[in-house]
Amino acid sequence: VSLTLTYFPVRGRAEVIRVMLKDQGAEFDEKVITMEMWKESTLKASCVSNPLFGQLPIFEDGDLTLYQTNAIRRHLARKLGLYGKDQREAALIDMMDEAIQDLLNKYVKLMFEKDDSGKEGYLKALPTDLKPFEKTLSGDKGSFLVGDKISLADYALVILLIHHQVLSPPCLHAFPSLQSYLKRLCARPNLHAYFHSDDFKNRPIIPGKRT
Amino acid sequence: MRIMMADQGQEWKEIVVDFADWMKGDLKATCVFGQLPKLEDGGFALYQSNAILRHLGRNHDAYGKDGKEAALIDMMCDGVEDLRLKYVKMIYQEYDTGKDVYIKDLPNHLDKFEAVMAKNKTGFLVGDKPSFADYSLFEVLLNHLVLCSSCLDTFPSLKSFVEKMSARPKIKTFLDSEAYKKLPINGNGKQ
Repeated sequence: VSLTLTYFPVRGRAEVIRVMLKDQGAEFDEKVITMEMWKESTLKASCVSNPLFGQLPIFEDGDLTLYQTNAIRRHLARKLGLYGKDQREAALIDMMDEAIQDLLNKYVKLMFEKDDSGKEGYLKALPTDLKPFEKTLSGDKGSFLVGDKISLADYALVILLIHHQVLSPPCLHAFPSLQSYLKRLCARPNLHAYFHSDDFKNRPIIPGKRT
Repeated sequence: MRIMMADQGQEWKEIVVDFADWMKGDLKATCVFGQLPKLEDGGFALYQSNAILRHLGRNHDAYGKDGKEAALIDMMCDGVEDLRLKYVKMIYQEYDTGKDVYIKDLPNHLDKFEAVMAKNKTGFLVGDKPSFADYSLFEVLLNHLVLCSSCLDTFPSLKSFVEKMSARPKIKTFLDSEAYKKLPINGNGKQ
C-alpha cells in the first residue's frame, strides 16, 4: 500500500508526519508543492472542492485521501501502533498532544509575525508551557509521555523541542527531564540518521529566512 | 461534551467552578495544563476538550465503524476546531470591531461542512451515526446561530443537520433544560 505526503518544501506542519514515518521505517513518497504552484490555484481549488479546507498537507494511504495534519497523524498512529496500549493511554496521549498543539500554534504565530518584537515575550512565557511536560517526564518511568512506548505525542514534542532550540538554544536549560528525553529520542537509530540527513537539515522550518 | 453525553444517555455529575474560585489558583495548580475542562472517568482524570471528546467517542462507539471512518471523523473534528478557534478569537478579542467581518466571512468556512454533509446524505458528517465530530459541529453551529440567526440560510444541509440534531429526544431535553439555558455561551458574556 502506498503512502504519499503532499506538502510545501518546508518542515512546517508536515515535519512531524515525516519524523513519525522515518522513525517507524515506513516508506512514503513525497509530492512537493512550491508556493508558485500553490498560488496558481488549481490544486488549492481541488483541495477545496474535493473536499475540504483548501490546505496542505494532503496524505494518501492507498485510496484514502486525508487532510488536516492531526487527522493524518492519528491515522498513521493507529496504523503503526503509536497510540498507546489501551483506551486510557490513548486518551492521555490525546491530552498531551492537544497541549503540544497549543504550544505549536503559539510558536507558529510567532514565526509568522512581521518582526522579532514578540520573541522576548514568547521566550519569557515558554517555561510555563514546558513545565507540564517536564513534570510528566520526570516521573520515575518517564521514558515517553505516556506508557512505555513512543506515541504520536512524542513525535510532536520532539520536533517542537528541536525547533525551540533553534529559536533559543538555552530554552531547555531549566528542564533536565526534557533535555534527557530529547537526547534519548534523537538517539533512536532511524531518527538519528534522519536528523543528520541533508533531507532534514536543508528543509527550512518555515518558508523564508526566519527561524 | 455535555451535548454528546446527554445524547448518548451518559449520566454525569457537574462540578461548577466560578471564576472567582478559579482565580484563587488552588484547583488550577492541580490541573495538568492549568486549564479546564476536566473530565473524571472513574479514577482517571482527563484534560483538553478534544481529548475528552475523543475519549467519549471511543466509549460510546461514536468514532466511526473502522479506521477509515475514524480518520475522516478526525479530519472533520479538526476542521470544526479551526472554526471554533476563529469564533473564540473574535468573541474574546475582536467582538466589537470584528463581528461584522467575521459574519461576512463565515460562508467561506461553512461551505466545506455543507459540502461534506450534502455528499454523505445520512445527516451526519461521516458514516451513518453521530460521531464526536457531529456533536462538535452541532454545538459550534448552535453558537453561530445565536451570533447571527440567518447564518445557515444558504446552507440547507447544515440547517437540516441542526434541526435534526436538536430534535433528537435526549438532546431536545437537554437543550430545553434549565441547566443548559442558564449557561452563558462564553465567559465574557458576548455571543
